[in-house]
Amino acid sequence: MQFKELPSVKEQIMKCVRCGKCRSVCPVFAEIRNETAAPRGHVFMVEMLRDSKVEASQLLYDRLSNCLMCETCSANCPSGIEVHKLNAAARSYIYKYYPNSTKDMIFDTMWTNPGLMQKTIMMMRGAQKTGMQFLARSIGFTKYLPGDMSKAERILTDIPSRSARHLLAEGYRSIGERKYTVGYFLGCATNLLNPQVAVAAVDVLIRNGCDVIIPSDNKCCGLPHLANGKMDTAQELAIHNVKTFNNYQFDYIITDCASCSSALDPKSMQFLLGGTKDEDDAQKFAGKIMDLNRFLIEILDIKLPANENASPIKITYHDPCHLANAQGIKAAPRELLKRIPGVELVEMKDANRCCGGSGTYSVTHYDLSMQILDHKMHNAMETGASKIATCCPSCMMQLRHGIKRENWNAEVVHPVELICESYKGL
Amino acid sequence: MDKITIQKELTDMLGKDALLSEELDLMYYSYDSSFFTKLQPASPYAVVFPKSTEDVQKIMQFAYQNDVNVIPRGAGTAETGGSIALEGGIVMDLSKWDEILEVDAKNMQTIIRPGVVHAKLNEELAKFNLFFPPDPGSSQMCTVGGMVANNASGLRAVKYGTTEQYVLGLEVVMPNGDIIITGGMKSRAIKNVSGLNLTKLMVGSEGILGVITRIRLRCFPKPRARGIAMAVYDKLDDAPATVLDVYQAGILPSGIEILDNSAIKAVNEFKPHINLPDAEAILLFEVDGNPAGVEFDGNLIKELAGKRARSVEWSTDQQRMTALWEGRAVTATAAARVRKDGTRVFAGEDISIPISRVTEVLRRIKELGAKYNIPIVNYGHIGDGNVHSAPVINPEIPEEVERALKLIDEIHLLAIELEGTTTGEHGVGAVRRRYASLEHGTALDYMRKTKEAFDPKGIMNPGKLI
Repeated sequence: MQFKELPSVKEQIMKCVRCGKCRSVCPVFAEIRNETAAPRGHVFMVEMLRDSKVEASQLLYDRLSNCLMCETCSANCPSGIEVHKLNAAARSYIYKYYPNSTKDMIFDTMWTNPGLMQKTIMMMRGAQKTGMQFLARSIGFTKYLPGDMSKAERILTDIPSRSARHLLAEGYRSIGERKYTVGYFLGCATNLLNPQVAVAAVDVLIRNGCDVIIPSDNKCCGLPHLANGKMDTAQELAIHNVKTFNNYQFDYIITDCASCSSALDPKSMQFLLGGTKDEDDAQKFAGKIMDLNRFLIEILDIKLPANENASPIKITYHDPCHLANAQGIKAAPRELLKRIPGVELVEMKDANRCCGGSGTYSVTHYDLSMQILDHKMHNAMETGASKIATCCPSCMMQLRHGIKRENWNAEVVHPVELICESYKGL
Repeated sequence: MDKITIQKELTDMLGKDALLSEELDLMYYSYDSSFFTKLQPASPYAVVFPKSTEDVQKIMQFAYQNDVNVIPRGAGTAETGGSIALEGGIVMDLSKWDEILEVDAKNMQTIIRPGVVHAKLNEELAKFNLFFPPDPGSSQMCTVGGMVANNASGLRAVKYGTTEQYVLGLEVVMPNGDIIITGGMKSRAIKNVSGLNLTKLMVGSEGILGVITRIRLRCFPKPRARGIAMAVYDKLDDAPATVLDVYQAGILPSGIEILDNSAIKAVNEFKPHINLPDAEAILLFEVDGNPAGVEFDGNLIKELAGKRARSVEWSTDQQRMTALWEGRAVTATAAARVRKDGTRVFAGEDISIPISRVTEVLRRIKELGAKYNIPIVNYGHIGDGNVHSAPVINPEIPEEVERALKLIDEIHLLAIELEGTTTGEHGVGAVRRRYASLEHGTALDYMRKTKEAFDPKGIMNPGKLI
């Protein structure tokens, strides 16, 4: 669908009364403090673009891209405007006038092809393990990387030797009586950077009466594409994933990744595929999507037996924006943590404030991303916790980088990893 | 002086990080919350971000020497076009300059820079058991500098009055670059009648006399207790009558707010958990003070309101009070939710009329809505007669816009007819200036002479207020 015809662009822009509520909640605005970074400013510019009062330009793309897509503004907008969708649509519209071959290669060629993506990541691991990354940094070679990549390459923590795809089979039977058959949507980052999360998730699901199938050919959820002006590619990926998962009779489609579940939920599918021939199939698929934490609490209501030998552990929880803002899921991960024997959950100040990672934002806007991260780390460290739990691979990577920057002796984990450990510790 | 030269001179003066000059970036400063700038946005020549009195002085000296307009701006949350460069010029964005210089708790005052956000100031004052009472609905985003410039108030004006009652002194950079301190050069006094009261003149002057760069504010002790009564009405007319009953019983609540049926619907759409009852109108009475007094007032309000209302809920539960007060605070923008293909517009939104005529004005606004076939959400500070009307229109349909403009004009004229004013707390800016003569008569001439004495070249925020 054309940019100007998108329902959100046609119907929502007029609702903005520019009250400025978004100024008070936007993490990027809090750093930049001028109107070019205000979400209402983004809405205004999308309107100007729609009405041909400004032309598509690289500068406008840059202004619109200075947004985490964290949805804090959308969640707090009194007029109910989904600012992130307007912004994403405008970025894609402008990108067509100002394409970039490096981006095309990354997002169209590599990030749509799981095999190629895996090879690329493994090459990067090779660079890490052979010391080439360190060497390149030491001799100053990384400064020739485009944009903020020269700084942002540091965010990539140690890449595991084996992906979740290698560690997991395609299907698992439940232990004990089967309650549900679930499809597991394996996100790119969980697969390649946090395979232990997927392994733990499958373990916990089968222990709690789920047959689990991990379709071998699911692709990226499309959120990185949407954030980088590649709405067409995001639509193609959505169509592929819808077809893949609709081939099965799943009761639920579960993902551990906050970004994936938000990108695949009914609202997002409507945004991408509403009004197309794939709309109905997309909604059938999206209606089954559920965040892992929510599934474990609200559907399975898992119980962990008491364990008097469990070591006491103090944990703080960081709300991923795509879970808390996009899906309103705040209680389930906390409830999960509270059910783990030995865990003391200590709330940090502003737990629901973005960590600055937001997928590719930390790569494209490294310095600002670090400023935003500094607030988060300060609040997390104040709790005295030894672990930060969160449910988004991008947050996990960003928080690990923050821990390294602060030289703090702490770990970042997904709640399901702790649940899995808890079972094994019995 | 042409725009490019102005930009170059300012860059040389302040450094490139202290201003915006790209055409695209300037467009971000072409609007505030007004319907007026939605229809007619206007970009400045440059936007500057001063962070010291010296910066402001240099900019003003440059502007004065070269006859360039200067438009001070806070968070741009006003509804009047007051911070827009309608005739070109430099927009001075003061919202980044947000230091709380001092909380002088032993003298019950604080000294701040203009960019401090209202809610953040009260967060800081709370540490000293103090507060700055004016309570605008935009507390989370508006700056105190903007509140002073517009003499803003809000939900608690019934008891605590408006911003002007709290401004003890100001530092102001005048149009020619002179720096003055009002309220006494070194004074920390709360009461002060020496000299002409330039502080009062500056408060509410909407940036047409100078740039406010430092604010000395009086603070009040934070009340120890608070409670909210919600009265629910089947007949709109019964609500204003209860307000009178409460006053006559000798009670002065800290806030008395009204929401009509459309406003109730809007709040419930935005925040379903607040769950306001379906009714023709709701009154919210907030009382504060010492615990025993609050309980006494609350129970008496409950008894009095119960004579006319369908039901009355009295609560001192923190969670419930927060929800109810939040419900009222978000009404302004949530009003857009009552119509899927429309939005509320900020125009004709701030009339203030005598308390005795509130019933009449609410009825007549409804009639005007019917006449122009435009739904209107009504809410506001009924306790002081400040009614906020929110026409809900589709601003992308020109014919509907035309009708709305006529409606808005009639609402303003109605306020004057009913012995009120076109604006109670939001200000005049560009949008209500046309009524100045009707409201002030020959006094307007003296206002203009005063402006000329301060700003002979007319460079300070031209086209606003008078």
